[in-house]
Amino acid sequence: MKNRYGLIVAAWLLLLGGCAGVKAPPAAPSVVTPGGATTPEASPQPGAEPAPPAQLEPVPTSAKSSNRAIVALLERAEGDSRAGQHEAAGALLERALRIEPRNPWLWHQLAQARLAQGQYAQAITLARKSNSFAAKQRRVQAENWQLIGNARVAQGDTAGAEQAFRQSADLVQQEKDAAGFSFFR
Amino acid sequence: MKLPSLLRNMPRFNFKFRLPGMAVRVVALLLLLGISGYAYYLDATIREAFEGRKFALPARVYGRALEVYPGMKLTREQFVSELKAIGYHENPQPREPATYKLTLTGIEFNTRDFVFGDGLQTAQPLRMDFADGKVSQLQLRGTPDVDQPLVRMEPPLIGGIYPGHNEDRDLVRLNQVPKTLIDTLIATEDRKFYTHWGIDPRGIARALFKTLTGQRIEGGSTLTQQLVKNFFLTSERTLSRKGTEVLMSLLLEMHYSKDEILETYLNEIFLGQDASRAIHGFGLASHFYFDRPLDKLELQEIALLVGMVKGPTVYDPRKHPELALKRRNVVLEEMLGQNVITQAQFTAARQKPLGVVQRAPAGTSPYPAFMQYVHRQLQHDYREEDLRSEGLRIFTTLDPFVQQEAEHALSIRLAALEKARRNATSLEGAVVVSSTQTGEIQAMVGGRDARYAGYNRALDTQRPIGSLAKPIVYLTALEDPQHYTLATPLDDSPLVWKQRGAPDWKPQNYEKQFHDKVQLRTALAHSYNVATARLGIGLGVDRILDKLPLFGIERKPPPFASSLLGAYGLAPIEVAQMYQTFADGGFRTPLRAIRTVVDASGKALQRYPLNVEPVAAPAPVYLLTAAMQGVVREGTAVAMSNWLPPEINVAGKTGTTDDLRDSWFAGFTGDRVAVVWVGRDDNKPTGLTGASGAMTVWGEMMKGIQPEPLEPAMPEDVELVNVDPASGVRYDEGCKAGIMLPFIKGSAPTEVSPCADAVVAAPVPAPADDKGKAKPEAKPEAKPEAQPAPEKKNWFQRLFN
Repeated sequence: MKNRYGLIVAAWLLLLGGCAGVKAPPAAPSVVTPGGATTPEASPQPGAEPAPPAQLEPVPTSAKSSNRAIVALLERAEGDSRAGQHEAAGALLERALRIEPRNPWLWHQLAQARLAQGQYAQAITLARKSNSFAAKQRRVQAENWQLIGNARVAQGDTAGAEQAFRQSADLVQQEKDAAGFSFFR
Repeated sequence: MKLPSLLRNMPRFNFKFRLPGMAVRVVALLLLLGISGYAYYLDATIREAFEGRKFALPARVYGRALEVYPGMKLTREQFVSELKAIGYHENPQPREPATYKLTLTGIEFNTRDFVFGDGLQTAQPLRMDFADGKVSQLQLRGTPDVDQPLVRMEPPLIGGIYPGHNEDRDLVRLNQVPKTLIDTLIATEDRKFYTHWGIDPRGIARALFKTLTGQRIEGGSTLTQQLVKNFFLTSERTLSRKGTEVLMSLLLEMHYSKDEILETYLNEIFLGQDASRAIHGFGLASHFYFDRPLDKLELQEIALLVGMVKGPTVYDPRKHPELALKRRNVVLEEMLGQNVITQAQFTAARQKPLGVVQRAPAGTSPYPAFMQYVHRQLQHDYREEDLRSEGLRIFTTLDPFVQQEAEHALSIRLAALEKARRNATSLEGAVVVSSTQTGEIQAMVGGRDARYAGYNRALDTQRPIGSLAKPIVYLTALEDPQHYTLATPLDDSPLVWKQRGAPDWKPQNYEKQFHDKVQLRTALAHSYNVATARLGIGLGVDRILDKLPLFGIERKPPPFASSLLGAYGLAPIEVAQMYQTFADGGFRTPLRAIRTVVDASGKALQRYPLNVEPVAAPAPVYLLTAAMQGVVREGTAVAMSNWLPPEINVAGKTGTTDDLRDSWFAGFTGDRVAVVWVGRDDNKPTGLTGASGAMTVWGEMMKGIQPEPLEPAMPEDVELVNVDPASGVRYDEGCKAGIMLPFIKGSAPTEVSPCADAVVAAPVPAPADDKGKAKPEAKPEAKPEAQPAPEKKNWFQRLFN
């Protein structure tokens, strides 16, 4: 007898439980992820695009810093960039920048990552910032101007791009002259 | 199976309802409906609580991860203090993660697995050697040892953002909980857990009887009931409450499996209190009391934690060790009685001391000001409930070393100032330190008592900034090189300015004197109000004030000329953003406190990447920086030399407001920007100038931090020109009477005057404090000859007469 009432109460509770069970439990954490930071800018205007100057011979990573920690981080960042992991590359470059905040190659590489992410204005600014630390280092300046040219092409600023590419070519020529001079010395 | 058999019973429920009379039937139906409604409500409530609490995990906030590499400036003492801050223990045989051992010239240690924003970093056995205040070697220990370029240490935990009621917990999965703990819990709290329906009828009957007969109300609660009770934390003990609890327990058992209930119980149960933070669950309790993960606990430690379930306050092992020990041994006896442990284990465990660590690992943050800033930044991007419940891991920029120096400097300098000056009492202050090129906030102090989580003066106090506003005026002038250079003479004679909507304005210099003609750089160095006001009015008040947003100042100052001299309030954090932009060559990098936010599963949700915006041309900023170095070298902040050697070449500006109410100093070195405010909360005069108050805190702090020298790279459109320091006329390059001043190309005087070499010893001497004007420009060869000190007097005599 006692047992039967127990079952009846249980059944009733179960029924209620079933009724109440309409509300689904919350699924995965619903964290708001704000955008904005990585919004790419307007796509380039089609039309006559200035051709970038001849590809520069790459500078070995080991020549970009005398600190092995920086070289190690740069190498990993370059690897990530090649694999299309620009966000990860950016994070590694920021780690390197905390150690050598005035190394123009690091700022240049960060500009590269932003360019690849379609953040053209930011890429240009970072390249300029790289130049601000690159007094007399024509090579990295040349690469920065080339990057600025590429970003301007993407922004549809043909004239500005041409100007940047010319600047880059001039710097390359200056470097060649200087190298030739030292070669014959 | 419980479920199908119950379902089969349902029809019987309907058909066996044979009651005589319509009225009775209606009453019964209404009653049933009423109870059903109530039960429905209870069900919804308990399920919401269960689902909600099951996942309520606080956000964990970490400081910066220390990165160590050979050649880095770091002493072994500093490194050991970092290791201690991240919970490493000294061990003569460091094999386990998070242990270390000192060696003759360095340290051997093992890192632990840690999930960063960029994924898992596995544990490594490492060795580090130190020499001359630097890391000389970093190796992976093994056969053979291998040199490493870099190690990233785990970041220190600096606080949490807790769910409602400040509950903190470390979530554990059932399979992470030692079986002994579960067996012990069941043996002591609820032996029929796996067989009952959520309630123990005999237990309830006993409780009911005792309550009705007026005896003490006692437990008899199952784990399920205890869980229900924990969800709704009230101490109310009534029959109706007990009824509710029973119903909810039955409902809970119907919706969830025993394992789910047990797992939730293990994470939910209240096990202690740490100031305002409530310690919930065995996972966190294990760290809180033993500083070890749950699966590393010994038998007697498990027994203590289980014993504390009965009364975490009464059996608090830190406050009542004897009671706790007694309770632990009772549990050990239960364990033996229920065959959870053997006689031998029992005997051994009973001998052991409590073994509780004296100081609990940091929970409530030691850095409340910084935490508040982080929390506010997060609130822009996340819902408060997510911050408090989703187990987010937040990687921030705080550098505990810099923070400590900032706190220390503020507290000892304010104490010293109060001691030295009778009228300086109740001083308060705030400090913000950021890294020059990345804009990361490394330290924030919101008041003299840095541990006090209350009014945060670094963010929330807005005080007139006084002369800290001047650099914007000078920058605007220097952006027009055709009219203004560092050597341009400015008019510092009396000024009356009439402006509609404001009374006539007659600015005064601090020392109540006028100086006729002064060079632009000198007017900034000595912070001459009249010359600056006249300069700013000439350039246009609106033109200057409209620039402020570029430097991160969103607040709009009143459109009056007095705003040129800083008659408007800003918070230290806003000033830090402005000076950051000067320090970074005219690139504005928004100040950041957060690097990455990672969810509970280790997936990066969001990075706050470095963003840079060019807001001022590099050349004028370079000239402004040179002038602000003049402030420290020869101007109002010349006493900085009491703290920092001249080769650091600090650029900065003092700020003093009317009646000496606010004392400010903002400045930068090669790697850091810092702002210090000193004043009183009631805004009464302090008797302190920027130099006698805030600057001394700044100097004291930087002395401890050991900053990098400031050597801004000279932009290509800037050149150094040899000029006469007093008149600004150009000299030949070889003339030793001149000083090297930076000019934007094309703006330097073109006409060359005959060198004043011949008259060096006579009337117009080059000031000693102007030597090295050219020093910051990384062109040491351009440094002019030092002048003997006595001439300094002449210079000042000239100036002040």
